Amino acid sequence: MNGYDYLIPKSFTEVWDLNKKFPGAGYIAGGTDLMVRIKQREIRPRALISLRSIPELSGIDIGDTIRLGAMTTITDLIQHPELGRILPVLIQAAKRLGGTQIRNVATLGGNLCNCSPCADTALPLLVLEARVVLKGPEGAREVPLSDFFVSPGESCLLPGEILTDILLDRPSVDTRSVFMKKGRVRMDLAIASFALLVEIKSSGPGCSKVRIAAGSVAPVPLRLKEVEQLLENTGISEEIFLNAQKMAEGIVSPITDIRSTEDYRRRIVGVYLKRALRKLIYTNGEWHKEK
Amino acid sequence: MRKEIHFILNGSAVSVLVEAHKRLIDILRDPLGHKGTKEGCGEGECGACTVIVDGRAVNSCLYPAFEIEGKNVTTIEGLLGSGNRLSVIQQAFVEKGGIQCGFCTPGMILSAKALLDTNPDPGEEEIRNALVGNLCRCTGYVQIIESVKEAAEKGKEIK
Ligand SMILES: Cc1cc2nc3c(=O)[nH]c(=O)nc-3n(C[C@H](O)[C@H](O)[C@H](O)COP(=O)(O)OP(=O)(O)OC[C@H]3O[C@@H](n4cnc5c(N)ncnc54)[C@H](O)[C@@H]3O)c2cc1C
Ligand code: FES
Ligand code: FES
Repeated sequence: MNGYDYLIPKSFTEVWDLNKKFPGAGYIAGGTDLMVRIKQREIRPRALISLRSIPELSGIDIGDTIRLGAMTTITDLIQHPELGRILPVLIQAAKRLGGTQIRNVATLGGNLCNCSPCADTALPLLVLEARVVLKGPEGAREVPLSDFFVSPGESCLLPGEILTDILLDRPSVDTRSVFMKKGRVRMDLAIASFALLVEIKSSGPGCSKVRIAAGSVAPVPLRLKEVEQLLENTGISEEIFLNAQKMAEGIVSPITDIRSTEDYRRRIVGVYLKRALRKLIYTNGEWHKEK
Repeated sequence: MRKEIHFILNGSAVSVLVEAHKRLIDILRDPLGHKGTKEGCGEGECGACTVIVDGRAVNSCLYPAFEIEGKNVTTIEGLLGSGNRLSVIQQAFVEKGGIQCGFCTPGMILSAKALLDTNPDPGEEEIRNALVGNLCRCTGYVQIIESVKEAAEKGKEIK
């Protein structure tokens, strides 16, 4: 294997200096994507800049706004005493990411920056309408997560920029949400995955807000905005659900690859949408009053 | 690029001169001679390389060696008691047929240890979940799950 330099800065100032000294160096977080790509010789970096020792990138703060540091590991999320209650859909997805050894080092920031269409944490964060903070030597900017993903493996990060934080508004008490994932075996990348979040109308059957995201069915993790509009502020019936299902199947643009086929992936999204709606709000003509 | 790194390996302080692109498994096996840590896939899929770092099971094939500075590492060699007495978990694997060819065994046992250290009385689902990142080509897993259950039972007796 070709050698590379491995640099461990302790501050952002050091990072910006290292970027100048080692042009073309890449960032490494937990390394669970990157080390595999190096091993498979997909990439041959000359230098890696580790993000593990920069204190500002870790930590979880809970208030009206919730801040998740980019270097938060998937295990840190799962073990957090409050997140399971406040952001259940994110924790459901975290528990389905990889096996224990992967979750123990894989980071939330790495999962997003890797920009895979199957990134498990992307879907809950999309339906929660997360924002990401991107920091470069000139300053920081805030971007909605839905604008962050550009194409497979490509985000809107500028060269040298670091994703520092994931920001979320605390969901209201009327929020219900669910994450679903189809993998070949328990520890596998998703064949297709899905997240639904609804805000229930206080006045009775119906949703004032619907957020839907699907994974592994388009070049990037996808919000299904047209379907959201169809379901928001309308009555609730099996017929509407069926229309929504058909619409979702029409919007996604999956591919056939070693994990699955285009057709199967399309159907899973429709079926998951139907199941998720039934689970969260309505089954056999019955409106779920309780969560 | 090289540097000397220092960490705790199975309770003893060690220092090794390491090249920047080496992984934790490379230094454990070669300069340090801890060959119980196995490399199966080298890509995080099989878990044969599992070791415990600061209480958590990790794949040593994905772990950059430079990041181990100052950390506490347990390998399978660290489980042996005085006079080469097997630990409770190891003994349970022997008795319950959790070992056939043995290639997956060190990783399996370290994943089981990381689980039992934090959750001494796990249910079957918790055991399966803790071992989902460890592949075995021989046993069919049933005996491995039984071994971990046995270790949990024996662990209680000891305490
Ligand atoms: C066996 C196995 C199973 C897996 N299973 C799943 C699964 O089920 N679901 C899933 O979604 N993923 C899975 N993965 C993929 C991977 O573990 C996750 O995507 C993980 O979250 C990546 O995080 P990391 O910290 O390891 O990223 P790294 O590998 O360190 O980095 C990934 C990329 O992001 C960049 N990067 C990382 N952090 C930042 C940052 N803060 N700012 C700017 N750039 C950054 C890096 O430069 C690199 O290009 C699996 C991987 C393996 C090996
Ligand atoms: S060798 Fe590390 S997971 Fe297979
Ligand atoms: S005993 Fe042979 S791989 Fe598990």
